Amino acid sequence: MAAYQFQIAAFEAVTPGVKVVFETTSDEGYAPQLAAAFASGEVPDIVTHLPSFAVQTDYANGLLEPFDDVIAAIGADEFYPGANDVYRAADGKYCGTGIGNSAANMLWVRRDLMQAAGIDTTPETWDELRAACQAMQTGGLFGAPLPYGQNSMTSLIFIGFIHQAGGQVFTPDLQVAIDNDGTRAALEFYRSMRELCPPGATTYSWGESLTAFVSGATATGIYTGRVLANVRDQNPALADQITCATYPRLSTDIAPWTFNDFPSVFIPAQSKQKDAAKAFAAFLFDPEGYIQQLHAAPGHVLPVLQSISANPIYQDNDIIRKCGPEVDLMAASAAGGFNLGYESAGHQSNAKAGEVIGSNAIADLVQKVIINGDNVDQALGETAAAIDAIMKA
Amino acid sequence: MTSHAQTPLERRYAMLGLALIAPTVLIFCAVIVYPLISAIYLSLFQIFTPTLQGEWVGLGNYAAIWGSGAFWPALWTTLVWTVGTLTLQIVFGVAMALVLHQNIWFRSLARSLILFPYFISTVVAVLVWKWVMNDLYGILNHLLIVAGVTNVPLDFLGSMPNAMVSVILVGAWKYFPFVVIAVLARLQTIPEPLYEAARIDGAGPIARFFDVTLPQLREVLVVIVLLRAIWDFKEFDLIWLMTGGGPVNATQTLPLVVYREAFGLNQMGMAAAWAVSMMAVLLVFMVVYIRQTRAKGSF
Repeated sequence: MAAYQFQIAAFEAVTPGVKVVFETTSDEGYAPQLAAAFASGEVPDIVTHLPSFAVQTDYANGLLEPFDDVIAAIGADEFYPGANDVYRAADGKYCGTGIGNSAANMLWVRRDLMQAAGIDTTPETWDELRAACQAMQTGGLFGAPLPYGQNSMTSLIFIGFIHQAGGQVFTPDLQVAIDNDGTRAALEFYRSMRELCPPGATTYSWGESLTAFVSGATATGIYTGRVLANVRDQNPALADQITCATYPRLSTDIAPWTFNDFPSVFIPAQSKQKDAAKAFAAFLFDPEGYIQQLHAAPGHVLPVLQSISANPIYQDNDIIRKCGPEVDLMAASAAGGFNLGYESAGHQSNAKAGEVIGSNAIADLVQKVIINGDNVDQALGETAAAIDAIMKA
Repeated sequence: MTSHAQTPLERRYAMLGLALIAPTVLIFCAVIVYPLISAIYLSLFQIFTPTLQGEWVGLGNYAAIWGSGAFWPALWTTLVWTVGTLTLQIVFGVAMALVLHQNIWFRSLARSLILFPYFISTVVAVLVWKWVMNDLYGILNHLLIVAGVTNVPLDFLGSMPNAMVSVILVGAWKYFPFVVIAVLARLQTIPEPLYEAARIDGAGPIARFFDVTLPQLREVLVVIVLLRAIWDFKEFDLIWLMTGGGPVNATQTLPLVVYREAFGLNQMGMAAAWAVSMMAVLLVFMVVYIRQTRAKGSF
């Protein structure tokens, strides 16, 4: 919040007559808020940090302003190569840009607990992860904080598990393909992890999952680099014990799959202050303010501009200095990351991904199979039909 | 039958009557009739929420609702929630009103404090209860484990039937003060001679409650049940914040379906069709209930 206030004050100082009003939203709340805003015509002039697939959905429905001007103002060459590919729309224009990168499904582990359990290396496969969690789970300490709730985190994280088993939700030409061996393997593994997660994981979203690891209630975690700042501020005793890795997969033959929601910045088409909004959007990348924003939670949102990563002021941060290898790993993982709107480099951009996530169809699948114990074939069939209906709507 | 021509004075009175009633009719149309007709009209279209663009589908949305088989489970969930929480509200509310009607110490303070759950915002109440029920840090699980009731924390909100029970209990806690206020006000107007006569006839406390107090409370309880049933039937925020409708759809009541259709799936027309269906069900229940209570009240 302080970083945004700094950027707003700096922008207002150089842009007389413009006043920026800041409003917050949440991972679970932005979709209905924005839908209501678009429907009423009372839209914000600029929106940040929503996942790229939500931006593509809105652009496809004519709700957003093309963002090419802003990217040009920032400097297209300033971005890492391909950083804006995820924002290229079907008409060839950009629907927004990334205000950062995030590696949202990193595996966080406790070195002290691993050592006490006789585990030498960070798990790379699901079998290793499960065995490690079983070894580290003792009275009052659980193995992992995986989400099983009816929310977007469960959907987004489970999509990662599908890919970590070699599966996919859509074919590259966007036919529904969730009923595959990878999904079945992911469901089986996810079910086997249930007894290694806290009882309340059935309602976990991002906040609860993060807190479970940071507070020391679980031996492993699954989150972005925000873990680093939260441990420093809330549980510094763990600061020297934690490290991260890409999340394990079914076998090492399968490449890691990092979920990057490509936190965005975009401008609604109904904005009444488009020029000012575009100027402010470009101003958000001004090094002084941008670095403050990145430093608010080092490692959580990673820079998309090459010059920022190398900037000594950016590097001059206690967490980035201390946890350099972790931050570098997250940056590399995020740069090669994907999400449902961009499942692989070979997939078409999926303008319906935001609605698929908003429907909770994939979280429902997890809950049906793992909590209700429903038949996998039937649950997968229902999920595929639900997603197909959204794609055809 | 003879026709009667209005005098100029009668016509002026008639015009004055129309003029006086016109603001009420206009406001009624603006806040009741227009939204109702709009909802019915919207339900006949397939509409994408953010753009409000869509196409005419006639009764297609209703056909989809009834054809999907999703309506009855959602209605059943809504009824379980409504009946469960309303019953507890009435039982706790009447019991507490009876206690607060006695000459107890700090009666005024107790009467004020009892309203606390009703006054605090639902968001705050839900946050507090979710914290109390938290599996890792909640006081409730801590007490259950210390008392030896369970070895591992209970999952209050993520599994069934715990989730429904928890939501019903929190709903009862949040809204029972309304019953207390209404019942307490009525208790204070019951004539004391009725109790004296009952005592002379040898009635004990329980008999006095069932033979004197409860019949006297009947009319106010009818109103309470009617109002609270309507409010509970369309309750959204408490359930949404507590469970989000989960696990799976186990606590997904009709208002949550409407919300999910409108803003999760961006299908405003379908959401309107759900809302109209929900209103029709509520109307049927209310008509039946009012007729039943009128019939019993005529004896």
